[in-house]
Amino acid sequence: MVGTVSRPAMLTLPHRPFRIATAITLAAAIATLIALVLWAILAAATDSSSTSRIDIPHLLRMTTIQAGLTTVLSLAVGTALAWSLNRLRFPGRDLVVGLFASAIVTPGMVVAFGLLAIWGRNGWINQASEALFGVSIGSPAYGLSGILFAHVVLDGAFAARILLARLDAVPANRLKTGQSLALSAWQRFTLIDWPALRGSLPGIGAIIFLLAFTSFPIVLLLGGGPANQTLEVAIYAAVRQDFDLSGAVRLAATQIAVCSIVILIASALAPVPTSFGASTPPRWRDSSTARILQGLVLAIATLGFVLPLLSVLVGGVGSIGRVLAQPTFWWAAGTSLAVGSASALLTLALALALAMGRGATANGPLRTLLGMPAFAYLAVPAVVLSLGFFLLVRSLGIAPAQAAPFVVILANSLLALPFAIATLGPPLETIARGRGKLMRSLGLSGWRQFRLVELPLIGRDLGVMLALAFCFSLGDLGVIALFGTQDFQTLPLMMFRALGSYRNNDAGAIAAILLIGTILAFAGLPKLFGKIADAAR
Amino acid sequence: MLRVEDLLFVHPGQPTEYSFSFIAEAGEVTAISGPSGSGKSTLLDLIAGFLEPRSGRITLDDIQLVPLQPEERPISLLLQSESLFEHLSAGRNIALGLPPRTSKDTTRQKVGQALAEVGLSGVEHQIAATLSGGQKQRVALARTLLRNRPVLLLDEPFSALDDETRQTIRDLVKTLTIRHRWHTILVSHHADDVEQLAQRRYRIEAGRLELY
Repeated sequence: MVGTVSRPAMLTLPHRPFRIATAITLAAAIATLIALVLWAILAAATDSSSTSRIDIPHLLRMTTIQAGLTTVLSLAVGTALAWSLNRLRFPGRDLVVGLFASAIVTPGMVVAFGLLAIWGRNGWINQASEALFGVSIGSPAYGLSGILFAHVVLDGAFAARILLARLDAVPANRLKTGQSLALSAWQRFTLIDWPALRGSLPGIGAIIFLLAFTSFPIVLLLGGGPANQTLEVAIYAAVRQDFDLSGAVRLAATQIAVCSIVILIASALAPVPTSFGASTPPRWRDSSTARILQGLVLAIATLGFVLPLLSVLVGGVGSIGRVLAQPTFWWAAGTSLAVGSASALLTLALALALAMGRGATANGPLRTLLGMPAFAYLAVPAVVLSLGFFLLVRSLGIAPAQAAPFVVILANSLLALPFAIATLGPPLETIARGRGKLMRSLGLSGWRQFRLVELPLIGRDLGVMLALAFCFSLGDLGVIALFGTQDFQTLPLMMFRALGSYRNNDAGAIAAILLIGTILAFAGLPKLFGKIADAAR
Repeated sequence: MLRVEDLLFVHPGQPTEYSFSFIAEAGEVTAISGPSGSGKSTLLDLIAGFLEPRSGRITLDDIQLVPLQPEERPISLLLQSESLFEHLSAGRNIALGLPPRTSKDTTRQKVGQALAEVGLSGVEHQIAATLSGGQKQRVALARTLLRNRPVLLLDEPFSALDDETRQTIRDLVKTLTIRHRWHTILVSHHADDVEQLAQRRYRIEAGRLELY
């Protein structure tokens, strides 16, 4: 006799009811929280009787134009840069690739500040132009050009890193065939590279569009007035400057609607499968003309990315001593560290629990459900999330200042969660599916599975994830901008306030400290966790 | 004796209906052969509990195995590859065959004994990924010794090995099967594996097992 077919057909996944239950509980808690935040926004929008003078169609048009241009330019720059990096071999190439990989965590405020130092009225370019030719080039760092430049610096580098991975994964045999056919550089790009890249472009494009559409610190610093505001900045201005809560709520609702539509469209554009993992390519150099072009692209892109950051370090280092002498700096630095560490640990716990629970089940609808929290950030961006929390705690009778530390930690965790799940999910899935039969036949407990199999294999990914979450939180301005007070401020908020009161040297020093902190965390945490994981073997 | 009786299974969306019946004696190697896609691995997955049959019985000395979860079944597995966690040392892989709270001294002693029995003393600390194909299979067999389960399922375990190593591992499997009175079930499409190892031979034809 035999049981019925109540279990899934293939039973190779280890039986982990605790993991699945924990993940379901957390996903439900996050969904409830997001629902409450949205409810608070919509309730405020419905209740509000005051008339707002915010021109939403204009803001929507400007934000869309800015985000659209950013997307097109970033994809073009990213593709050209990935193409160049894939072809060129030179000492320090890994360092350059790592540099572009760090774009995702480089605080937007720091890049914007660096651009001002290069392209601003008193920037390096203007100083050089006046010294050499006696003419000023004006201030292209402000307005739409500045916003686009800053976005393309960050998002182009982000796109390049992903596209480079696609090019590096082109199977060696395909390259050997192409080389034996003596394909030209153009034929090689159109016949081999482009098919490997094009499947990823819609997805990357959608992410860049959303990042630019919801951009906050760059637009706040470089926008140069209402003409170039994004919805995010307009929400911040409505709440903090104009006290127009009704307008802010309408803006937030518009923002959520647009972001949701973009996510729906993006999810409909299914990626074309490509190869993964680096292949061992044959030595195949393009023509000398193509190589010169690749060298130029790489040099310009590297300068475009490095110069603003370098200018932050050069300009800020001189004033660091003065900033370090201020007690408020230490208070803000301590707050940044505490908030960053707490939100990184919370993100780690949430991402691990959700990814492990998802990896432990073969049930399709349940897997979809457990993947949903990853979309929280994309649908509800930083300032909107903060506004929702702001309204929610107020409606609960809690003073926003009292709730601020918890809200900032929680909001920063939710914002980092999609990136954390994207980092930890795939390796955990691979382990569960690839080694499930073996783990199950050996009867490994959940703890032994984690300690002996998962931890050693995902140790470095854990470090990357913690670094991402910590750096996001360290550089965040969107959440803290609404909840910050004189007693509760982080380094980005202190920098923003220094800029607002024309203490540019202080702002420069804080930007340099933020940049150094980001570099240390991004480079150090993955190595540290890699070592911890090695010790677990 | 391991007895499989009228074990019925259909892969969802596929026309072939498998119906398996056979017996495997203790201390013997029973071979299952057949062309690719004939259902050899399906049969092993059913015995191991990774697939659930529509009907039928699997008994070991009259104990029903079908209601048991894969980890509860008295079975060890040896696959063509991926029988080991490549990031762990050979010793750690073998120690997974012991109960979780076994003391360090006992673990060290038992791992050493198991390695000696498969002729691979001294590799305890070597990371599994650095072992050769034959060494990996020996380590997996050493773990099987510690698990001490009466049924050993072998899914094309020699396919990735060169001829010389293949012969050595085959001899080892035969020796261990006899010494420990295992019910060893070998799935292979290599005729020489079947001929050299198996006392009882079955072939899968059109979803059914035939003794030959």
